Amino acid sequence: METFALLLQGMVTSFEPLNLGLLIFGCLIGLFVGAMPGLGSVNGVAILIPITFIVPPTAAIIFLAAVYYGAMYGGAISSVMLGIPGASTAVATVFDGRPLAVKGEAMTALTAAAVGSFVGGTVSVILFTLFAPPLAEVALRFNAPETFALMVMAFATFVGLGGDDIPKTIFSILIGLVLSTIGLDLITGKPRLIFFNIPGFLHGINFLVLAIGIYGIGEMLWTLEETKGRVQMSKLSVNMKEVGRAFSALKKTFMAMNIGSFLGFFVGILPAAGATPASLMSYGITKQLSRNSKEFGTGVPAGVVAPECANNSASTGSMLPMLTLGIPGSPTTAILLGGMILWGLTPGPLLFTQQPEFVWGLIGSLYIANFFTLVLNIALIPAFLMVLRIPFAILAPVIFVLCVTGGYAPTQSLHDVWLMLLFGFGGYMLRKLDYPVAPAVLSIVLGPLAEKAMRQSLILSDGSMGIFFDFGSKPIAAVIMYIAIVLLIMPAFGPIYRKIFKKA
Amino acid sequence: MLNIKSLGGNNMTIIKKLALVVVSLSLVAVSSVSSAKPFSPKKPIELIIPAGQGGGADEIARLVQGVIEKNDYASKPVIPINKKGGSGGEAMTYVKKKAGDEHTLIITLNNVLTTPVNQPELGIDFFNDFTPLARLITDTFLVWIATEGKNTAGINTFDEFIDLARGNGLVMGGTGSMSEDELLLGMMRGQFGFDAKYVPYDGGGAVAKGLVGGESDFTLNNPSEQMGFYQSGDSKALVMMTPERNPAFPEVPSSYELGYPDLEYYMMRAFMAPAGVDAEVVSYYTGLLHTVYWDDEFQTFNIDDGKLMSWLEGYGLKDFLAIEYAKHGEIIKNFN
Repeated sequence: METFALLLQGMVTSFEPLNLGLLIFGCLIGLFVGAMPGLGSVNGVAILIPITFIVPPTAAIIFLAAVYYGAMYGGAISSVMLGIPGASTAVATVFDGRPLAVKGEAMTALTAAAVGSFVGGTVSVILFTLFAPPLAEVALRFNAPETFALMVMAFATFVGLGGDDIPKTIFSILIGLVLSTIGLDLITGKPRLIFFNIPGFLHGINFLVLAIGIYGIGEMLWTLEETKGRVQMSKLSVNMKEVGRAFSALKKTFMAMNIGSFLGFFVGILPAAGATPASLMSYGITKQLSRNSKEFGTGVPAGVVAPECANNSASTGSMLPMLTLGIPGSPTTAILLGGMILWGLTPGPLLFTQQPEFVWGLIGSLYIANFFTLVLNIALIPAFLMVLRIPFAILAPVIFVLCVTGGYAPTQSLHDVWLMLLFGFGGYMLRKLDYPVAPAVLSIVLGPLAEKAMRQSLILSDGSMGIFFDFGSKPIAAVIMYIAIVLLIMPAFGPIYRKIFKKA
Repeated sequence: MLNIKSLGGNNMTIIKKLALVVVSLSLVAVSSVSSAKPFSPKKPIELIIPAGQGGGADEIARLVQGVIEKNDYASKPVIPINKKGGSGGEAMTYVKKKAGDEHTLIITLNNVLTTPVNQPELGIDFFNDFTPLARLITDTFLVWIATEGKNTAGINTFDEFIDLARGNGLVMGGTGSMSEDELLLGMMRGQFGFDAKYVPYDGGGAVAKGLVGGESDFTLNNPSEQMGFYQSGDSKALVMMTPERNPAFPEVPSSYELGYPDLEYYMMRAFMAPAGVDAEVVSYYTGLLHTVYWDDEFQTFNIDDGKLMSWLEGYGLKDFLAIEYAKHGEIIKNFN
């Protein structure tokens, strides 16, 4: 009851004119920042931090959280409309969002993204409201072995991700893993795989460089070849019938919404994970568990809902360790955390009791921000759809320029632009040879997290793999590990299962 | 002769006049150079942090950024960028490559002293690849245990801890291979005859969480990295590695009090520019940092956080760095 009163108080706080104005403004900026390839919530929030010094801390955090939030929605726009992930958190949205747009169902894809984001954001903020303190405890108990088990589970779901050709999928995963080991060794700091001693490899392969290359450039080449540059992408009309159709398509995405919301939130509260792994894992698991998992990747609404739901959910989740433990749950919250320290707050276990107005103002604002971003997004869909009316011959150079700036922006090195072009060409070739590329993208994100967690665990256990399977000392890790193994072998039993099912 | 003399005299006056003109012209030129063209940043200033988010260096970097932005101390924004890879190796390689760049700064941890030695393959020359600007703060180290640690329950003093650590292989969480805290562990191994299993994490924030989460038994964190858990009573400090107690941790004894004066170690929070920047650039950034240093908010924040305010610039800083570099070389030699 007390929680409820505090929450109401928080909502009232966020309806104060200054706060509400900043909230809506923040959502709009976030949408833009998210939609621009290469500019993500991290850059957006970092750039805007100085502005927040002129307003009270509560207004400042409401503003920045709205930007963070808006960016989660915005990333989907360029993923769907251009096939370039607008932000790292929206890479998984390309998998099905792009095919949907190509099929002429961009309206459905954008609606699914907006509604998915809304559901994910709302479910997670409710979970946050109700269970913040005990969940902080969970985040504390989630250490290296547990993280590694979770990563294995994620990889297990990838095997089913590439379709029926499991060897090709595994090949793709391995390519991603090898690329992810380039750079400096995470534990010893020694350089690894620095090809031709080019210093650019020292910072490793930025995941966005690979994703923008494969999806942006590769997709552009592919589409140019297919359409010869003449045909416009798809015919579409915006009328009530279309809107109705888009919403009715969402009925089938109930499972994706559940998985995305809960998994996203859970992954979000784990320090160092964040919204990008959450969206990818959510996509993988939803696909694995779906009845029509074969259709994933060809344009199903659930494939858009799953990652979009998860990235919003995770972004709320990642505020939990930030507020309760003073540890960032994602790169963006790391910057928010810096802001809080500068505003004179000490994030940590005492923040909830010492600064209730700040904490509950933030939580209250998340409900409101969710609602406004949904409204904004749905209202702006017709404007976004205009993009598709542009002939592809004109659109292709625009995509190319966006890809190059997007590849340059995160690290500001030309080395990455060349790499991106190389990956674009490589991605195009893989696609021609019918290799799935999504697993490679996924493993370059999760590879470093998995490697680090595994090596930390093995240091703890003196090299014994038993640490991952010991129900006595590490029950959470063991449970996740066994689930992962089941998920891994499930596709192998798929045909047998189906036979039995058909006979019965 | 006379002619020549008179000629010479004429020449002299002409030369004198000319000289006067030249001198006054050059004076005008000098004054116009120094008044019209002092350095000021023309684009956003990158502040490279050779560590992960949420650690001690990250916190200071963001505080400096905030103080600058809030008071408009600089005409362009400061953008902190974390390059945590390889115990600072990634950041240092980056700054080395930026030689002559007037819009890049790096905040130091002590890993600028150790990583060039530990990773010769990076080719970093500490004395020639950076231009030291100023030291603002020295940070201290404490030995931390969790209040409800499964292996450290009932431990209240540093001596009890040493006895426990000698008998059992405890796990220590740290910030990366050959970083300050692992070197400190090496020092303690020599002094107290105990060893521990060292598990590296991403930055001091994650180290602190690992301790309270029960994955490690002790850490050698900076004050600010454990502050949240310290205030909530989830972690406690056994000793501070300084000659005197710190007002932010009044009940924590200093290593001198406990009779271990050799257990003294500091982390410097200094700022450096890349090599090959002009003197005006150095004086601009040193001046900027000096303004930040004396900012009320900056002072209050750091003192409350248990840090030592210790401004140092110019030759004093260079000497300090040379001494510290040699000292760390010695520690590393004994470590291996």
